[in-house]
Amino acid sequence: MTDSRRTIHRDLVLMLLADARLPVAGHTQSATLEPALRAGLGPADVPGFVATRLRTVTRVEAATAVVALHHLRRGLDLSAVEAAWSARTTSPAMRATSRSQARALLRLVSRLWPGTEALRAVSSSTTPCRAVVLAATAASLDLEATALARLIGYDDVQTVCSAALKLLPLDPADVTGWVASALPAVDALADEVAHLTRPDDVPASGAPQIEAWAQAHVHTTRRLFSA
Amino acid sequence: MPDHTPSRPLAGAPDSEAPSSTRALRLGVCGPVGTGKSSLIALLCRELAGELQLGVITNDIYTDEDARFLRSAGVLDPARIRAVETGACPHTAIRDDITANLIAAEELEADFTNAGGTGLDLVLIESGGDNLTATFSPALVDVQVFVLDVAGGGDVARKGGPGIERADLLVVNKTDLAVHVGVDATLMVAEAGAARDGRPVLGLTRTDQASVARLCAWVRAQLASHRIGALVPQDPGPMAPHFHADAANGLTGGWHVHDHAHA
Ligand SMILES: Nc1nc2c(ncn2[C@@H]2O[C@H](COP(=O)(O)OP(=O)(O)OP(=O)(O)O)[C@@H](O)[C@H]2O)c(=O)[nH]1
Ligand SMILES: [Mg+2]
Repeated sequence: MTDSRRTIHRDLVLMLLADARLPVAGHTQSATLEPALRAGLGPADVPGFVATRLRTVTRVEAATAVVALHHLRRGLDLSAVEAAWSARTTSPAMRATSRSQARALLRLVSRLWPGTEALRAVSSSTTPCRAVVLAATAASLDLEATALARLIGYDDVQTVCSAALKLLPLDPADVTGWVASALPAVDALADEVAHLTRPDDVPASGAPQIEAWAQAHVHTTRRLFSA
Repeated sequence: MPDHTPSRPLAGAPDSEAPSSTRALRLGVCGPVGTGKSSLIALLCRELAGELQLGVITNDIYTDEDARFLRSAGVLDPARIRAVETGACPHTAIRDDITANLIAAEELEADFTNAGGTGLDLVLIESGGDNLTATFSPALVDVQVFVLDVAGGGDVARKGGPGIERADLLVVNKTDLAVHVGVDATLMVAEAGAARDGRPVLGLTRTDQASVARLCAWVRAQLASHRIGALVPQDPGPMAPHFHADAANGLTGGWHVHDHAHA
């Protein structure tokens, strides 16, 4: 094949997607940290909050994405994946947040990489969740399942920690230390979910307390973050 | 052979968004805190709701303050007023990452088209009160108003900045307060005009019907221009005004992905 186009390293694609400057409204998200703080968590609880999310809701997200990627690569129908995610994400507020983030992401990636089969497949669903759209992005850009899961874990950690800097009196260097300390857990999460293929494989590892906070957040009138 | 898969074409069609002349005109209102952005929007709603289908999006520091103010003003059906959270980044939300606002505008427009309505004519977007450097991305709004007030001091307009110098309209608000704060409103408007290279400046007091009529006339003229496709969104800056990246129509060139070091 004659092709003048440059070959680039996968890491660069991952950097692009993990960059907070990606215009997908990431600055509007706190990953439920804002309601958690309102409910009484303090600065010292943030690293534990990050770790809890990685074990629970973020695990559901990462596993869903990996399974969706498997389905997309084989041209399988995604509705069972979407349903598995829905059943394991019991808070309507969290589902709504995921779907609006998905819309933001889909809007961007469809503009940058129009016409990929995976993006077409998820666009045909009226309201895909974020994990599924991230999977379609990964499929379009030839990212591996482990990289996709790492991206989701890392993004969740950064979302909590950058929101913490807006909400709490913290030293940014300390907070970056929390991010760095969470990386082994992100890595482990990715290794644990990367091989999953079936919708039934998605763990039912939601966190009722986080879900309750997400629900409560919808009804507050003074908030900085959308969720 | 590295284990990359064949590359795909990366250039493609532009956004599927409707051409600007068939969707609602999006009008941005920005300017420093407390200069009267919400009041100006309430004023426009009061004056124009009889002749135009309106929608409002607010961007707040504390989310729905402005939306609640506007809903309680009773000048527009509360369902037509939406608040967007900015994560304490009001500047980002109108300029570097306009996604949340674009989605809110599209949803608002869709809701009033799908509901059997004729669709919206005008969507007013209020930025969170920010500093003098905040302006809207031309990818978010078709036209923008920068609001100053006389109480902020007579020098502000002369000091300039992208919004003051190059927004489509500069409003010098609360001219009724000029006598109380020792500002010569006429001079302030004149100096603003000089800083703006002839772009329009409007002295406004919400209780002065003549100034309100001038504001409404300007908005109607923008809408008319938008409808015939003659309105080209202008970027007030801070960068040089008319830069259009090729990326607006998909990426140029392309690449393969691999995960090996280059040989
Ligand atoms: N005297 C006078 N006061 C005005 C006028 N327009 C607005 N105000 C007052 O100015 C104050 C601020 O007005 P807002 O419309 O809330 O200003 P804003 O720019 O939306 O404020 P933020 O959203 O907080 O940045 C309010 O007390 C208004 O009543 C005017 O024409 N004359
Ligand atoms: Mg306001």
